[in-house]
Amino acid sequence: MVRAMAERHFVVIGNGPAGNRAARTLREKAPGDRVTVVSKARQSCYSPHRLPDFIAGRITEEKVLVCPYEAYRDERIKLRCSQEAVSVDLERGQVVLGHKEVVPYDGLIIAVGGRPFVPERLAPFGDVVLTLKTLEDAKAWIERLEQVDSVLLVGGDLTSFSVARALIHLGKKVHFLLDGDAFWPLRADDELLATVADSLSGMGVDVISDGELKGIAALAGGGYEVQVGDWTVQPGMIGAFCGLVPDVGFLARSGLRIDRGILVDEYLNTGFPGVFATGDCAQIYHPELRDYWVSVGYENALALGRTAALNLPCGEEREMAEPESVFEVKGVSLDTSWWKGF
Amino acid sequence: MRAIDLTVEICGMSGDGTIAAGALLNAAMAKTGLSVMAFDTYPAEIRGFGRCVTRSRIGDESMVALADRTQVLISLDDEQSRSRIPFLEPDATVFLDSRPPALVAEGQSLAAHVEPENSLIGVPFGDLSSQVAGSKRSKNIVALGAFAGAFGVPPEAFREVITVKFRSKGGKVVDVNVQCFDAGYRYVHENHPDRVTGLLSPKEGAGTGDRQLLSGSVAISRGALDAGVKRYFGYPITPATPIMEYLARALPERGGAVVQMEDEISSIGAVLGSFYAGTRAMTATSGPGFALMTELITHGVMAEIPAVIVNAQRGGPSTGLPTKTEQSDLQAAVFGGPGDSARIVLAPTDVCECYRYTAGSFRLAEKYQTPVIVLTDFFLNNRVETVTLAPAAEQEIADGNVYPDESKKGGYRRYEITESGISPRSVPGQEGFTYSATGLEHAETGLPDYTPENHMSMSEKRQRKIAGALRDLPAPEEFGDDGPLDVGVVAWGSTFGSALEAVLRARAEGMKAGTLKIVTLFPYHADRIRSFMARCRRVLIPELNMDGQLANLVGHLNSEEVIRLNRVTGVPLSPREIYEKIRELGG
Amino acid sequence: MKTPGRILAEKVAGAGASGRFSVRSGNLPIWCPGCGYYGIHQGINDAIRRLGLPHHEVVTVSGIGCAGRYPFFADTYGLHTVHGRALPVSTGVKLANPKLTVFAVGGDGDGLAIGGGHLPHICRRDVNVNYILFDNSIYGLTKGQPSPSSPTGFRTKTSPAGTTEAPLNPTLMVLSYGATFVARLFAGDPEGITAALVEGIGHEGFSFFHVYSSCVTFDKEFKTWANLNRRIHPVPRDLDRGDRKAAIGHVLDDDFSMGVIYRA
Ligand SMILES: Cc1cc2nc3c(=O)[nH]c(=O)nc-3n(C[C@H](O)[C@H](O)[C@H](O)COP(=O)(O)OP(=O)(O)OC[C@H]3O[C@@H](n4cnc5c(N)ncnc54)[C@H](O)[C@@H]3O)c2cc1C
Ligand SMILES: Cc1ncc(C[n+]2csc(CCOP(=O)(O)OP(=O)(O)O)c2C)c(N)n1
Ligand code: SF4
Ligand SMILES: [Mg+2]
Repeated sequence: MVRAMAERHFVVIGNGPAGNRAARTLREKAPGDRVTVVSKARQSCYSPHRLPDFIAGRITEEKVLVCPYEAYRDERIKLRCSQEAVSVDLERGQVVLGHKEVVPYDGLIIAVGGRPFVPERLAPFGDVVLTLKTLEDAKAWIERLEQVDSVLLVGGDLTSFSVARALIHLGKKVHFLLDGDAFWPLRADDELLATVADSLSGMGVDVISDGELKGIAALAGGGYEVQVGDWTVQPGMIGAFCGLVPDVGFLARSGLRIDRGILVDEYLNTGFPGVFATGDCAQIYHPELRDYWVSVGYENALALGRTAALNLPCGEEREMAEPESVFEVKGVSLDTSWWKGF
Repeated sequence: MRAIDLTVEICGMSGDGTIAAGALLNAAMAKTGLSVMAFDTYPAEIRGFGRCVTRSRIGDESMVALADRTQVLISLDDEQSRSRIPFLEPDATVFLDSRPPALVAEGQSLAAHVEPENSLIGVPFGDLSSQVAGSKRSKNIVALGAFAGAFGVPPEAFREVITVKFRSKGGKVVDVNVQCFDAGYRYVHENHPDRVTGLLSPKEGAGTGDRQLLSGSVAISRGALDAGVKRYFGYPITPATPIMEYLARALPERGGAVVQMEDEISSIGAVLGSFYAGTRAMTATSGPGFALMTELITHGVMAEIPAVIVNAQRGGPSTGLPTKTEQSDLQAAVFGGPGDSARIVLAPTDVCECYRYTAGSFRLAEKYQTPVIVLTDFFLNNRVETVTLAPAAEQEIADGNVYPDESKKGGYRRYEITESGISPRSVPGQEGFTYSATGLEHAETGLPDYTPENHMSMSEKRQRKIAGALRDLPAPEEFGDDGPLDVGVVAWGSTFGSALEAVLRARAEGMKAGTLKIVTLFPYHADRIRSFMARCRRVLIPELNMDGQLANLVGHLNSEEVIRLNRVTGVPLSPREIYEKIRELGG
Repeated sequence: MKTPGRILAEKVAGAGASGRFSVRSGNLPIWCPGCGYYGIHQGINDAIRRLGLPHHEVVTVSGIGCAGRYPFFADTYGLHTVHGRALPVSTGVKLANPKLTVFAVGGDGDGLAIGGGHLPHICRRDVNVNYILFDNSIYGLTKGQPSPSSPTGFRTKTSPAGTTEAPLNPTLMVLSYGATFVARLFAGDPEGITAALVEGIGHEGFSFFHVYSSCVTFDKEFKTWANLNRRIHPVPRDLDRGDRKAAIGHVLDDDFSMGVIYRA
């Protein structure tokens, strides 16, 4: 793997916090090599966790974009926006992009993060239910919010709280259908749900914690009528927050081991030389727990991105991915150090 | 302030249908009531291989120049399109084929070369065309559909122009192409909804698109037709050939004729012969052909025979750059040829003026009994603009001949010395007024006469005549304000548009700049030019030639050395270059 | 993607790689695929090779046109002049240094229209120049207008109703101007071209090679490959090549015979 003389080509798939940090670390550690970041997002690196504040109007779009294009140019990182990796050929060391361009690599870091998870129950209503992950999603929210007074949030994942807070800030009426299934990758127990419900009610949210979603009907004058258990609410729009699933469908036939995320060792290596996974899309072995854990959260993503990059170029220095505080909930270990929302 | 000012480029390899797509784009945009100025570049060489680029500036107000930068690039061939990346606005939208037929190596896709700020819109041009049309040939039409979809162009406008374009090939071809357009349009809506903007959707109160989309060459031809030209004699040469092609169809319908001569010497010869015999005629050529014509042009000067000659300049000298634009024939047009051979030289600055001044040149040629040269260039001849042509005014195209009075019968002196220098001219067929026109110096009778007094007085008469034409010729126009200016730009021909745009930009930023448009290159309005220059702290003369040919002609009218901006890059001077020079001089 | 342009580029590159053109310069011809000029190119190259002429002692003088581009594609000295003037310039070259082998090449527009006035005079002077007229009866470079050798009724963009002029017959013209070596050849027969050139180059005096060619891009009507292939045939063996009158008589009767027609 390690080629001493010739210029090597390091490819990072994903330009979220993890990918971005990985690329910049690579540049720092391997100044003579080529670094390419492939990102299916249209814009430069943005931070999903700032989207709620963006929706609330507290920050501008520039503040969401955490890394200006200039920074990539300055650091000689080739950023390919709006370009999606559609498969990885580990044997030949190639990433194939959506437009059929084959990009060879000497080292690869997969940092594709997650995409909103829409549980089966909600799937039939998919086209009326908004999710929130990308900047485009956020813009769609802003556009819709201009026309409505009330919002129904379904789910209850780690992001929904900041969204609820943003909506309250905007003066919207917020209904929250709290759903035990929505805590991917956690399974919430009653105690957890009760804590959450309390916290939300305290913010002024109308919490519906014991209902089952039965049906959604679009109203003639705009808005919806939603049947939840015995309740009926008439929100102007509906959002689903049921967690993020690793966006790793394109790797299904790559040979990488995938469970809840891409399985990697404590050094974030996938078991294939020179191929690492990091950030939200990785499921990481913990030698002390003797189990895998998943990362969620901005700070974690940054730290993990850096770790992967430190381990990649030479393969000798070994940096361990160290979660700050791993929780185990119903058989899943998770770093919740960032999760101070309630 | 323009709400819409969008420059769209289509780039491909010859055979990709690039130029055709560009023409459809221009026509469709004109249909929606927007203004268009477009200029294509295609392989200079023999049909075969090479890069084709169409460049269309689309706006809600008419424009005077091409833009410096491009906002939309539609790539029909990624390898060719790479060369266009440096011209892109940082946030330009780039359309490319997202499903090339085979995997390509890193770097072979345009996607590898665009800047991350660019908005990439991948559309399977080739695949959609194959699905709908059974071959990839209509991928250019799919691409237009994608563009229309993303920018909110009403599809009807495109469907209409596609129908017109393919009508002659039959209903099936029309249908298939309309479907290809629709497929591209739909694809963008379905797969890139976040990229769909309404930027080009028709606005309330927008024009109805009744303006015509004309090239300079066609405008010149129409001007000649409206002036009643009866004969065209010419020899093929880029970029003048389209004039002959247009007239070859249009003139016979009006009882005229186009004759392709064996060269340019014979072409100008036949034009002189025709005017001598009282019939309006013209020829059009470019530098090399013009050079061949000069001897006979001076013959027209000496023998006082009218002629209309269009010189569509291209890069020179010699065969030069046949498909590149330049303004380096000014001196040849004004001074070319032996002897003191003053003639009238007009240089239109846009498509409307191509029409107007070509039309007007026939009367001028007749009235002043002289060759009139209409000096255009590759850019002006080949670019298209949306224009509304006001029909040429009757007094501008009326018969300019001054015939001898019947009372002079018997004692007719063809070259009678008059105060105006204009001597009534008879035309073969007129009884009692026979004479011989000659290129030898001649007496009033037309008979050779080399005496010192005669050559002196005849030369004075000819000079007087041309100087006197000045009041009949388009005067310089000033743009800016009447007060003192920091920088005054004096410009001619197709460069004037860029100068005007640059000056407007500078003025919008508070600079004291103005510009003077000179259409009449010879004789020239010295007083008007001098008074403009006198109120400018610095005078800038931008031109597409190395010598500074206008500066050489009129620079002496300024009290200081004029500042020259000379470029011979083969492409029009960009407004930005002139603007930057204005800034540099103004500060 | 296989666009026609790309296919063409590949073909040209392929032709180059085949090594068929030994006197070829590093610049690949830019002619359209299928253009007759490729055959003429090959015929000339083979003649130079067969005669063993050192490339640096060959000068190729041309006018302007697709044919006029020829010098760029040959590894000889070249002089690409202006439209129609190859003959006077080649006269200058030859008279300056008689040791040089001088070719004048150009199209039918170049040689018969704008440059037509020079043809009688180089014949009269009998300058030892080898003039190869690439006659496709059309203006190729300017995208298809009629030329002086186009047939009456020829339709193009500048003659939408068909030309009214009668065509010139260059072979007949030079015979009547007194040319001392005259051959008529076919671009589809490079070997025939080579054979005639080998003989004509050796001829002391002006040699005229009238080569029928096809402009596949702009002529779909007259000198197409199909038409030419159907109509051409060898000059009759029994024609007395030394008899100018007989040659003129033959040329008046037969427009499509190929081979050496006259040698003084
Ligand atoms: C609304 C919201 C609020 C949040 N709030 C907080 C918070 O308050 N605090 C906190 O710590 N965390 C928060 N998070 C979580 C945090 O944003 C994520 O943990 C973090 O962004 C993960 O970083 P990442 O780089 O691993 O993945 P991501 O940020 O998801 O980035 C992955 C990138 O990869 C790209 N990609 C995916 N697939 C491909 C492919 N095939 N080819 C090319 N590119 C691809 C995607 O476009 C994306 O840009 C929030 C998340 C959301 C959505
Ligand atoms: C003085 C002058 N007039 C016109 C032209 C334009 N021109 C270039 S080549 C050409 C004719 C080409 O026809 P031909 O000589 O038959 O050559 P072909 O391209 O067919 O080989 C013309 C008219 C020119 N270059 N110079
Ligand atoms: S245009 Fe005609 S003559 Fe010129 S290269 Fe093409 S086929 Fe040959
Ligand atoms: Mg020809």
